[in-house]
Amino acid sequence: MVIVDGVRTPFSKMGTDLARLGPEELGRIVVSSLLTKTGLNPALIDEVIFGCVGQPADAANVARVIALRAGIPEHVPAFTVHRNCASGCEAFTQAYEKMLAGRGEIFVVGGTESMSQVPLLYTHQAAAKFAKLSRARSFGQKLGAMLSFRPSDFKPRIGLQLGLTDPVCGMNMGETAEVLAREHGITREKQDAFALESHQRAIAAREKLEAEICPIYPPSTKAVVTTDNGPRKEQTMEALAKLKPVFDRKNGTVTAGNASQITDGAVALLVMSEMKAAELGMTPLGVLTGYAYAGCDPQRMGLGPVYAIAEAERRTGITLDHADIVEINEAFAAQVIACLACLKSDEFAQKHLKRDHHVGKIPKDALNVNGGAIALGHPVGATGARLILTSLKELQRRDAKRALISLCVGGGQGAAIWLERN
Amino acid sequence: MTTTQTPDLKMVAETAPAEAVNTMPMETPELIRRLVTDENICVLTFDRPDSAANIFDKAALMELSDHINYVMCNSNIKGLVLTSAKKSIFIAGADLTQLSKARTSDELRDMIELGQVVFNRLATLNIPTVAAIHGACVGGGYEVTLACDYRIASPDKVTKIGLPETQLGIIPAWGGSTRLPRLIGLPKALDVILGGKTLAAKPALKCGLVDDLVPREYLVEKACQLILKRGMKLRARKTKLAHKLTTLGPVVNMITKKVSKQVFAKTRGHYPAIPKALEVVTQGLSKSLDDSLALERDAILELGTTEACKNLIRIFFLQERAKKLTGVPADSAPEAKATPVKRVTVVGAGVMGGGIAQWSSARGLGVILRDINHEALAKGLAGIAKVYDQAVKRHAMTKLEARDGMDRISASPVDVPLHSVDVIIEAAVEKMDLKKKLFAHLDSLAGRETILASNTSALSITEIATATQHPERVIGIHFFNPVHRMQLVEVVVGKQTSPEVVRRSVKFVQQIGKLPVVVKDAPGFLVNRILMPYLIEAGHLFENGARVEDVDECMLEFGMPMGPLRLIDEVGVDVSHHVASDLASKFRDRMHCPEVLSKMMADELFGKKNGKGFYLHNKKGKEPTVNPRIDKYTSGTACAKLTREELRTRMVLLMINEAARCLEGGIVEEAADVDFGMIMGTGFAPFLGGPLRFADSVGIPHIVDEMKRLADEELRFTPCNLLQTLAGTGQKFYKS
Repeated sequence: MVIVDGVRTPFSKMGTDLARLGPEELGRIVVSSLLTKTGLNPALIDEVIFGCVGQPADAANVARVIALRAGIPEHVPAFTVHRNCASGCEAFTQAYEKMLAGRGEIFVVGGTESMSQVPLLYTHQAAAKFAKLSRARSFGQKLGAMLSFRPSDFKPRIGLQLGLTDPVCGMNMGETAEVLAREHGITREKQDAFALESHQRAIAAREKLEAEICPIYPPSTKAVVTTDNGPRKEQTMEALAKLKPVFDRKNGTVTAGNASQITDGAVALLVMSEMKAAELGMTPLGVLTGYAYAGCDPQRMGLGPVYAIAEAERRTGITLDHADIVEINEAFAAQVIACLACLKSDEFAQKHLKRDHHVGKIPKDALNVNGGAIALGHPVGATGARLILTSLKELQRRDAKRALISLCVGGGQGAAIWLERN
Repeated sequence: MTTTQTPDLKMVAETAPAEAVNTMPMETPELIRRLVTDENICVLTFDRPDSAANIFDKAALMELSDHINYVMCNSNIKGLVLTSAKKSIFIAGADLTQLSKARTSDELRDMIELGQVVFNRLATLNIPTVAAIHGACVGGGYEVTLACDYRIASPDKVTKIGLPETQLGIIPAWGGSTRLPRLIGLPKALDVILGGKTLAAKPALKCGLVDDLVPREYLVEKACQLILKRGMKLRARKTKLAHKLTTLGPVVNMITKKVSKQVFAKTRGHYPAIPKALEVVTQGLSKSLDDSLALERDAILELGTTEACKNLIRIFFLQERAKKLTGVPADSAPEAKATPVKRVTVVGAGVMGGGIAQWSSARGLGVILRDINHEALAKGLAGIAKVYDQAVKRHAMTKLEARDGMDRISASPVDVPLHSVDVIIEAAVEKMDLKKKLFAHLDSLAGRETILASNTSALSITEIATATQHPERVIGIHFFNPVHRMQLVEVVVGKQTSPEVVRRSVKFVQQIGKLPVVVKDAPGFLVNRILMPYLIEAGHLFENGARVEDVDECMLEFGMPMGPLRLIDEVGVDVSHHVASDLASKFRDRMHCPEVLSKMMADELFGKKNGKGFYLHNKKGKEPTVNPRIDKYTSGTACAKLTREELRTRMVLLMINEAARCLEGGIVEEAADVDFGMIMGTGFAPFLGGPLRFADSVGIPHIVDEMKRLADEELRFTPCNLLQTLAGTGQKFYKS
């Protein structure tokens, strides 16, 4: 399966430039823009697959809504996938699996997320009271139902917070990062230094990144958004050091500064069989050569990439040292640093990966070369697809051959995808 | 739908007991099908053979009368349902061809009386009657339903209900002016009748034009059920107290007074049908039904012979003609493929480009909007969103439809593949070298079948085409501003444009619901060429001492929708200057751009766009007032003493002269094209029938004399050869 082209929205911090656009709107814009950019006749598309974690209540199966609103004919089916932070990867690999099964040759895949629009929820107890009130007919019943409310019923449950908490182990994602920091001795300074570099690299790559962005014209304004607003040019170690730990206020090391930003954004990729691309006269950006998803301890979900990369090697035989560039999604600085440590540890390999030797080393200048989610932000459903797009464009710029992208996944999973330029 | 699709209705017409009284002559094809259900309800389905529309001509009225006879002679018939088998039309009203061809007022009177008598017989049947309406139900088509006891309609888009007669210079005279105010009260009835309005299903229900909305599939079934369940109660409807109040003498007088003032302000007495309708409706209310119908009849007989009525009906026919135009000679080879346009690209996101993108997207087309940078696109998109917002506010479309329209537009500041785009419309800056470069580039991006169109209002299509490898696919598709309101589009045929491309372009214009006029590629094409001498003259008169008020007011009195100086403000002083000087450079013998425009530009008086021009446009929602400091741009006094009459004569004569020159030069095929273009493109007084029709009615020799008189002093008034020849031979622009 080849990737013909891709496009993404600017990544905008929650509550800023794109806050008024829901995930369906962001998705529509990228798909519509992708179709315009490639000139593909949308009737040729076999299926549309999108990843989205916080699916909007008013646009269920958001992939279908995106497809129709982007002008893809109604005969083309669409479905939405959810593998938490790897949803954008899942949409991509789903297309490949469908293709292998003979279920289509041309797919539009991607991910979309509006962290700004993840809703606030009522507790079940409050919802029951609202239901009772709506069923009440007589004045007495209505009064009774109204009087049953307590102040605590009106306190919303924050959807975003719930989504970022593992319901199995009961830990927030940030708390899992604290576990890794403690166990692998990753200091606050190391984390902050990593974060600073992410910003510096993203700022340096601004122009490169803009090449993969389609401008957004927010409705009823004369404004245009063309660039990511997460990377901070003036970021310093001092400023990072001032931030308070979020998840363990007393002894913690994980701060808002060394964790990924909460961000809105969407990505779309046009993928097809190699034959179709040749038939349509389209020059691909690259080809998918292998991938794996792997499970791990939910309390240490940040190590997911280690498991997934090892599993991908087992399936494809491609070893880590073949990668010209590597993307490990920066959910947390501590988590990426822990991954690097575990990847080069024989002990970890023997204990957890059922292999004698370590997986490999990733040189600093090959990892997240254009910055990562700490600077650019992490619209959870979209990030996987962005890593594919960004790394393929980078391979092109470097005239290099192979890229490995990997993400940790809430709930204790990892994803790894090998891409190659031909 | 046809009633045979409804399972519980059985064709029993053949076996109906009263076969003998069926006096209908069967040799002519029947226009109305009759069937009687098991429950003895008679369903009349209007279904004119070989036509998409039902209309009331003499034959249809006679046939309806025969069916009413049948129903009257069959005492077991319990009720009557009227419906139509057409996809998008219930009954589109009276046959206008027949009406307009009625040579004597006797013929017209016969037709009117026949309709009144037949509808009266329907109204006085002693069984319940229900109209089941799907599709356009207008004019006589709605009046027949007013003679029914109850009206139900489908909520579909094609369902449109109303009485547009006054727009054609007549009034509803088959009982509409009498029955509607009795049904929905005076104020609402006046609103519909004087406004010549047709309403969509939902507003029609709200207004009371129909009694209920029922899905198309269930219309006839529901009509039958209503008859069975409620019987004659359908007729004995309770009149709302509020309605009754509005029909009381003093209240009627009060309303009449108020409305007639509004009417005069709007029409300046040019549209006699409107005050006449007001008179008939209000006076008829206090009279018996028969007397009121007599008022209707007398009024339409009076109106039917007026020049205004004839001209308005003629325009109606010209619009219908434009909808069916092919743009190529009838004997040329038939079209190879008739695939409708799906995707267009608009190059340039300015006012015109944005307008074209908005309109195309609203009509279901995918649009790539291309400009050179984000800022231009953002501005263009914001303008498009505004048009959509306004449409939603006016209830012209739903929020969802507006969103879908916006969704269809994809903006791009960089080159994208255009090979699958059907039509590219360029609406960039009006500079020849730039356009040539652009077309050479677009030519290389476009697919083989793509039409390359320019929205230029001044530049030569033939010259633009020279920049491409395929000049045969280059054409002008010239929209007018504001695009969403102006129906006319000039299709400009360059020297090398192929007939196939002309045909496809005309079809495209029709597909998006605009009215095409095919014109030759010459400076100013048709509309601007005729309009500019008029605007230039207005500027010239002002320069030489005529007051702004006088120049504009005299043309409003003439029947123009807006005075010429005000129009310059609306268009923009700079744009007017550009077009005027461009055209003047081509026609040096008779046009030169008035200096006042460049002086105003130097002082940054650009017109409406910056609030200052001949008028001050600052206050939102308020009429602009004449700029108090405008007098300083006056440089002479030669025209200060001219009366409004004289001012008007000068401006109108120049328009007529240029219109005649267009015909003379073969810019369009016939006089009707010129008049149609001017009325639809500039709002030229429709009741006058256009500049050439107006010349005919005034008398061409008279026009020529006037021009010669003025030409003694100023050469631009020299009448063109065509005018002189026609005057000399006693001919007219129009034959009949």
